[in-house]
Amino acid sequence: MSKLEFHFTPVDEPSEAEATQNPHAKDTTFNPEVVQALQTEFGEDVKEVFLYANEHTVYVSKDRIVDVCRFLKEEQGFTYLVDLGGIDRFTDEDRYEVFYNLVNIKTSKRLRLKTRIDEESGSLPSVTGVFRAAGWNEREAFDMFGLHFEGHQDLRRMYMPEDFEYHPLRKEFPLLGVPGSLPLPPQTPEAGLTLDPFAAAHGSKPIKSYEEAASEE
Amino acid sequence: MSDDILGGEGFLTTRVDAVVNWARSNSLMPMPMGLACCAIEMMAFAAPKYDVARFGSEAMRFSPRQADLMIVAGWVSYKMAHAVRRVWDQMADPKWCIAMGACASTGGMHRCYGVVQGCDNFLPVDVYIPGCPPRPEAVIHALMDIQEKVRNQHSVATDAHEGKGAAEPMPLRPRILTPSGDSSITPARLYGTEEG
Ligand code: SF4
Repeated sequence: MSKLEFHFTPVDEPSEAEATQNPHAKDTTFNPEVVQALQTEFGEDVKEVFLYANEHTVYVSKDRIVDVCRFLKEEQGFTYLVDLGGIDRFTDEDRYEVFYNLVNIKTSKRLRLKTRIDEESGSLPSVTGVFRAAGWNEREAFDMFGLHFEGHQDLRRMYMPEDFEYHPLRKEFPLLGVPGSLPLPPQTPEAGLTLDPFAAAHGSKPIKSYEEAASEE
Repeated sequence: MSDDILGGEGFLTTRVDAVVNWARSNSLMPMPMGLACCAIEMMAFAAPKYDVARFGSEAMRFSPRQADLMIVAGWVSYKMAHAVRRVWDQMADPKWCIAMGACASTGGMHRCYGVVQGCDNFLPVDVYIPGCPPRPEAVIHALMDIQEKVRNQHSVATDAHEGKGAAEPMPLRPRILTPSGDSSITPARLYGTEEG
């Protein structure tokens, strides 16, 4: 019987073999020259370079993220922003993280940028000036994590209603939501909003309109 | 029709309720509230293979004013719930509602902050269909249940005489027809599975 191999994402630093010899590794994500160019250009602001499964992840300081993106787009040909999103690490320091996945279409290379934001400030510069496509993704990250992207033209909520008070992908947000924060529609055309999200379980039975009592007028 | 059925008289008598409910039940016009993956099965239910035209419901109406059966197919988010309820309120009476699939009935696998845990929290649902997604046959079965309900429950005559709030009318059509009120007729006898 052949032995099953299990490849997991290590919590600690990857070993030499895991970093380079992972069977799922692809060449497209391995960019030593680009990382070298970034380090020469930005020095201390490139905080850390992480290599796992042949994928380069570059941590940069959030104050330089716009410059880094502009450098990668204009000098290194990473013209395509595939994805941008937030992560809640739920740690004391540098609680939030924002990732930027970039693609150089000419050379078929991919690069992942990350930047960390502490809980108190909760804000970072918007990259919409470099990649216009970042607009909706930054709105989504704002909606879900409450991160403020300074310089974004139109930082409104993306999915949740405009008057919603919470940021649901933060770790402290309860899975089933905060009762009463998202009202349900009225049970009859003239009634008020339903604040109980489990109205049916608590005995409410919406009725057909022809079963309603006649209205006052 | 042969003379035999009409008793040789060339006409038949019936009740207004029976005729109206018969007409209504065989021309239910669904309002397809397709919100997620279940909507695909709902399309199959209307398409030629399952062909709901056999039951008179092939005319999907995208205007609530012309529809009398809402099929909530898919999970309802809190934001969408207000639109669904608005469409429901715009549908003319009498109207019926099917909650199609696990999500529309209970929230299903989407047990989370954004999805209403069952559309019966804000809509009067008549028939729930289990499944994820239910097969088109199941949707047809639900439609037949609604037809059964239409034929049995709603009475035009009671509405006209007593108005709103009248007691629920007696069923017009029992599930097993007993022409002479003979209660000894059982399904086993009807289907010939019983001796004698
Ligand atoms: S019940 Fe299943 S198929 Fe239907 S909407 Fe929910 S997840 Fe999709």
